[in-house]
Amino acid sequence: MTNKARLNLLASVLLPLCVAVLLFILWQTEVLHILLGTDTITLPLPTRIGEIIGQNADAIWEHTQISLRVALGGLVMGSVLGYGIALIATIFPKWGAGGLSIVSAFNAIPIVALAPVINNWTRDISTEVDQRSTVAKMLVVMIFCTASMSINAFRGLTELKPFSEDLMKTYAAKRGTVFLKLRLPNSIPYIFTALKVSVPSSIIGALVSEYFAEDTVGVGRQIRENIVKGQYPTAWAYIAVACIIGIALYAILMLVEHLVMKRRKG
Amino acid sequence: MKMKKTLALTLAALMAVQLTACSGSETSSTSQTESQATENSSAGSSDEMTDEERIKAAAEAGKVGNWGLGNEYEIQALLTKYGLPIDYITQDFTMDQFDSDAITLASAMTYNELGLVKNDYDGALNYGDSVGIIDMNDQGVAMLEDNLFCSKKFAEENPNTVKAFVTASMKGWAYACEHPEEAAEIVFAAGSSVSAGHQEYMAKEVAKVVTTDTKGNPVSADKVGQMDEAAMQQTLDLAKKYIKLEDTAASEKLQSFTLDDIRSTEYLTYDPEKDGAPEKTSVSVQLKWLPQCQFMGYYVAQAKGYYEEVGLTVDIISGGGDISETTAVYNGTVDFGVTWVSNLINANAGGMDLLQVAQVYQRSALVLVYKK
Repeated sequence: MTNKARLNLLASVLLPLCVAVLLFILWQTEVLHILLGTDTITLPLPTRIGEIIGQNADAIWEHTQISLRVALGGLVMGSVLGYGIALIATIFPKWGAGGLSIVSAFNAIPIVALAPVINNWTRDISTEVDQRSTVAKMLVVMIFCTASMSINAFRGLTELKPFSEDLMKTYAAKRGTVFLKLRLPNSIPYIFTALKVSVPSSIIGALVSEYFAEDTVGVGRQIRENIVKGQYPTAWAYIAVACIIGIALYAILMLVEHLVMKRRKG
Repeated sequence: MKMKKTLALTLAALMAVQLTACSGSETSSTSQTESQATENSSAGSSDEMTDEERIKAAAEAGKVGNWGLGNEYEIQALLTKYGLPIDYITQDFTMDQFDSDAITLASAMTYNELGLVKNDYDGALNYGDSVGIIDMNDQGVAMLEDNLFCSKKFAEENPNTVKAFVTASMKGWAYACEHPEEAAEIVFAAGSSVSAGHQEYMAKEVAKVVTTDTKGNPVSADKVGQMDEAAMQQTLDLAKKYIKLEDTAASEKLQSFTLDDIRSTEYLTYDPEKDGAPEKTSVSVQLKWLPQCQFMGYYVAQAKGYYEEVGLTVDIISGGGDISETTAVYNGTVDFGVTWVSNLINANAGGMDLLQVAQVYQRSALVLVYKK
C-alpha cells in the first residue's frame, strides 16, 4: 500500500468512524444531553434504541421493506423519466432548456402540498389502500428525483469534450452514431452525479410521503406516530433505521460507480 | 463496449420493474369494478341498514376512515366489537374523502367535521339530514377526550397555582356552555382558525359534550371538569387494549396503570383563604389545535377576567399540525396542556410523568358519519 492510499483510507474510513465512536460515547454517558439541553426521554440512550430495534426486528424489517420499495421504485421512475426528459431536450435543444427549468420548478413544490393532490389522482387505481397508497408515494418520490437526473443527464449529453463532435462530423458520422458513441457514454458519470443527490432525497421523499399517505405503514409513518404518542425510544429506533438505509444505499451506489467507472477506464 | 451492454441490461431491468408495477395496478383496477358493482347493488337498501350492517359493509370495503396518531382507539374498539379487523384508512384534515366516497364511514368530531359535512355555510358540504351518525357513546366504546393536565412535578411544587388555574378555567367553561354565542364571538376575536358561522356551531356542540355524560345525563355547571370514575375507567381499559406499543418496557408500564397513575381530583376546588396564594402567577397553557371553540373555556376565562380574579396571568398557546402537547408540558416549555386522555396515557407509558387535573369533555365527541 502506498502512503497516499493509506492516507486516503484514513480520511475516508477511520475519521468518520472515530467521530461516530466519540458521538456514541458522549451520547451514552449523557454528556450530549447536557450539551443539547435535553433529557433521556426525548433523546433516548443508544443502548435503549438498540434494545427496541432488537425486540421489534420483524416489525421494523416489514416497515423498512415498504419504505425501501417506495424509495427505490420512485427513484427508478424519476431517474428514467429524468433521463428521458434530458434526451428529448438534447434532441430538441431549442425548447429543451426551457423544459428543464419547468422540471426543476416541479422539484421545488413541497410534499405537504403535493401529497393530497397525488392521493386524489391515485384514488381510482385500486380499492386496496396499500396498492394505491404505494403508487401515490412512489409518484411523490419520482417528482423528487426527476429534476436532478434531467439536469445532470442533459449536461452529460450536451457538454462534450472540445472538438469531439467536430471529429465525429469529419468521420461523416450520423446523428444516431454520434449519440451512441459519444453522447451516451459521456453522460454516464453525470448519471452518477445525479444519483448521489437523488438516492438520499428518494429516502427522505419516501419517509415524508408516508406522513401524508392513506396507508399507515412505513418507517416515516412510524417515526411520526411514535413522536406524536410520546414514544421517543421507538421513534428513535425508526430514525436509526432510516439512517442505516440511507448509508447503505449510498455505499451501494459508490460501489457500483467504482465498478462501472473502472471498467470504462479499462 | 462491455459498458454499453451493462447499461442496456440495467435499463431493461428498470423497465421490467416499472412494467410489473404497472401491471400490478391494472389487475387491481379490475377487482375495483367488481367490488363497485356489489356495492351498487346493496346501495339501494342502505337507508334500512342497521349500524352493525353499515359498519361491516364499510369495513369489508376498506372504507372506514380515521386520522390515526392516537385518535383511532375508539374506532378500533368499535370494529372489534363487531368482530372486524381493526384496519382503517388515514383521513386527512378535510372531509373530501367522504365527499368523494373514498371513505364511506368517516370519523368526525360532532363539534367540527360533522358541522362541515352537514351545514351550508362557506367551506361546508351542505349534506344536511342526508347523513347519519354512529355515536361512540351509544356503542359503549367512548373514550374521554379534551382534558387539562400538567406534570406531576409542577402540581406538587405549585398546588395552589394548579387549583387556581383549574377552577378559573372551569368557571370559564361553565360560562361558555351557558352562553355559546358570546363564547364564539370571544374565540373568533382571539384569532380564530375557522369562520364565524362554524365557530358558533362549534361552541354549541362543544357545550353539549361538556355538559352531558356518556350515558346522556346532564352535568351541572358546578360539576364541569369532574372526572366521572366509570368513564375514566372505560377510557383506561380501552387504552390498555388498543394502544399497541413496540417498546416492551412502555407496554408493560401501560398495562400496570390504574387511574391514580394518570389523574388527580385534588385540584378541582380552590379556596384562596385556606390554600393560600398561587406559587407561580404567570402560567401558560398549550392547546391541542388551532384557536377554535373546542377550547372556548380558556378564552372565555381570559376575556372575562377569571384568571385575574385568582391572581394569574395566563398565556394561551394554540397548537396545530404535529404539536406534541405532552412533550411541551413534560419538558417545561409550557405549564399546562390540553390533550386526549389516551394521549396522556401513551405519554406516561413512554416515561413522562403527567397528571390530569380536570376532565372537560364528559362524553366522546367522536362519531362515524355516513351518507344515508
